Amino acid sequence: MKRNLFPILVLTVAGTLALAAVPAQAAKVRVVTTLTDLADLTRNIGGDHVDVFSLATGVEDTHGVPMKPSFVPIMNRADLLVLVGFGCEHAFLPALLEASKNPHIQDGQPGYVDCAKGVVPMEVPKSTDHSAGDVHPYGNPHYMLDPVLAKTAIQNIYDALVNTAPEYRDDFTRNRDAYLAKLDAKIVEWKEVLAPVKGAKFVSYHEHWTYFAHRFGLVYFGTIELRPGIDPTARYIETLVTSMKAEHVSLVAREPQFPEKVPALIAQQTGARLVKLPIMPGGVPDTETYIKMMDYIVHTIAQTAK
Amino acid sequence: MKLALTLVVRAGLEKKMKLKNILGWSSALFLSAIIAQAQETNDSAKFNKQLQELQEKFEKQQGELRESFEKQQRELRETFEKMNLEQQAQIEALKKQIAAGPTNAPPGAPAQTADQIKELNEKVDSVVEAQTKTRPNEFNPSIGVVGETVFSHRSGGSDTTGADRPGGFDVFQRSVELNVAASVDPFAKGYIVANASADSAGEATFGIEEAALQTTSLPWNLELKAGRFFGEFGRLSYIHDHELPFVNRPLALDQYVGGESRTDGAQLNWLLPVPHYVSLTVGAGNGFGGDSPLNNPGTYRALSGLNYFGRLSSYFNLTPDWNMETGMSGLINPTTQDRGGVLVQPNGSTLTEKERRVAGLDVKLNWVPLRNNQFRSFTWGNELLYSDSRYLFDPDGSLNPAKPAPGLTGDEYMGGVGSLGLYSYVTYKWHRQWSAGFLFDYVQNAQNQDDETMAFSPYITYALSHWNQLRLQYTHTDHNAVSGLRPDDAIYLQWDWIIGSHSHGWQQR
Repeated sequence: MKRNLFPILVLTVAGTLALAAVPAQAAKVRVVTTLTDLADLTRNIGGDHVDVFSLATGVEDTHGVPMKPSFVPIMNRADLLVLVGFGCEHAFLPALLEASKNPHIQDGQPGYVDCAKGVVPMEVPKSTDHSAGDVHPYGNPHYMLDPVLAKTAIQNIYDALVNTAPEYRDDFTRNRDAYLAKLDAKIVEWKEVLAPVKGAKFVSYHEHWTYFAHRFGLVYFGTIELRPGIDPTARYIETLVTSMKAEHVSLVAREPQFPEKVPALIAQQTGARLVKLPIMPGGVPDTETYIKMMDYIVHTIAQTAK
Repeated sequence: MKLALTLVVRAGLEKKMKLKNILGWSSALFLSAIIAQAQETNDSAKFNKQLQELQEKFEKQQGELRESFEKQQRELRETFEKMNLEQQAQIEALKKQIAAGPTNAPPGAPAQTADQIKELNEKVDSVVEAQTKTRPNEFNPSIGVVGETVFSHRSGGSDTTGADRPGGFDVFQRSVELNVAASVDPFAKGYIVANASADSAGEATFGIEEAALQTTSLPWNLELKAGRFFGEFGRLSYIHDHELPFVNRPLALDQYVGGESRTDGAQLNWLLPVPHYVSLTVGAGNGFGGDSPLNNPGTYRALSGLNYFGRLSSYFNLTPDWNMETGMSGLINPTTQDRGGVLVQPNGSTLTEKERRVAGLDVKLNWVPLRNNQFRSFTWGNELLYSDSRYLFDPDGSLNPAKPAPGLTGDEYMGGVGSLGLYSYVTYKWHRQWSAGFLFDYVQNAQNQDDETMAFSPYITYALSHWNQLRLQYTHTDHNAVSGLRPDDAIYLQWDWIIGSHSHGWQQR
């Protein structure tokens, strides 16, 4: 009996040792991002060392990503949660975070990566009262449409990745620097492309373009929404059309998640050009990366604004 | 920076030159002293030898010194050139960064003057100082209030229709709900929902609907809730009235659960550690259902006297836009201790509840287009409930407390009543402000399955904003002959509003 057992024992030990000798595949950093722009930036910095999942696919409203229970197990196992901040995700993220039961990515923990850290907000309301609509108490959260401010988000993501996986610091640094160099070159290019339409006036459905207009010297005339999150009344549309005509507003930008009917009507009545502009990668075809999206936005405005 | 480096190098060179001169003069003096001493001894041969040795030694030292000096000079020059190159590279990088725009300062902003910087510093200091002030209320929780008024007209009085509100025109201030919530500590949060509602006499009655502690950091995906709360049973029973997709709670939930699933107890939720979403909740409480009577007080209550409930739920993505949520629930109270007392039936007999058992299945199909989910959606929600409670039947009604000497007469027996109830609704949203739907209700009386009620309710909702909503609903309620009640036609206008803090919870998704 003992003789029969011995070879089995030897084989078991040998097998165990052989398995142990196989180098274990290094664990990737599991990252959940709220929006697709943050997912693209994280992939560019993290490279092969990260697994990235975005809650949004790119076509949603940045404030209204559906709260799918299928997100919960993914968030439950995440090492990092990367978000825009400034209350951008207030309508869906707090409930998902609570349901995720992941203590590492809760607000205040190292895994909670608020990309707004270091960004100086614009349009900070003087009072947080709903008479101003679905106002953001910390300021306009759509800073990611300013590529210069996106660099702050890049640094925040980089810091979080290094903090989580310091063994990949050199790779993260190399990837970040390469991406920043590429982005810097594109920023110079985008400024040159938009230089001829500097001072052009435009409106959009929601107040997405404050930072973008500020960066590239455009005049953000107003929004089709009466207040953030509040659809326009007939009287408000009438007033907007009158003032747009008087001020020669040349462009009506419609974000893909909003219906076309009212923006088209306003464009028709004012003689302005109607364009569809994505607010995050994937919002319209061929904009699956942040740089491609910005390329699309910049060239569309340059070709249509007066 | 370049100028500073040049000065540093020049200072270093001057220092070296001074050192060389001092060394030369010192050596000469030293040699003179030696020569003088040699003359005094008058030993010329010895003197010459010593002089030669000293001269050789001096020349050797001088050579070493020169070599060392040249080496240091070379190293300093190399260091300077290297630093110069690095500075040039940094200057180029900064120029590039400025061209790309390093901050969100206005493009072309003028250079900061010393006065501007001073002014800016003063402003920053004042902000920092303001932050250090003590605010006694800074730990106050978030507070919100929900108001709900229901204007209605019913075709018949409640005595003929069985409705819980009077017939004809009625204005019902159904709730003024105060929501308070905050973190208790790093391990738990607490919340209170206090509700004031007009009672049948029109007077406001104030009550605590929920007041519970909820853990936030238990291991193994666990979450414990304790206190008074809406226990997790079914799909809509733990939703507050104003969050329902229609005006009134479905009849089956009213009949079998007792309205909202309020309980005083504890529940444990477990998110299963699998890639697919599966959530399991179990709990125990003293009573279950907001309008449901408590077990008879005053008697000793064993563990079997408590209500035990649970729910298993899951979710499936059918397509990116279509999804399905499913759940199964159970509620059991093994010893009801004559909950609600002796229940007198229309035919004069009585029932006394001894055991309470309810089971439920729910399915909700959603169409939520990702692109414009704020403007369009479709929901088809269904819940099937089965009540299988056990009663002490008293056919001759001898236990009726209204009788002069209620008591057992021997005809009493134990038996169960298996009753079925369900509701099904569809809601279609075609605009950010507009949605409409239809609710179908069917329920058998929990104490008599032959007593059936059906209701049909079309409704339309107009939401001026997230916090201000109007709903118009028509409900036709039909009872069968066993109930002895007459049909009822009702029109409702519901007006909900919210002020203060309001967040979309996980259960209200």
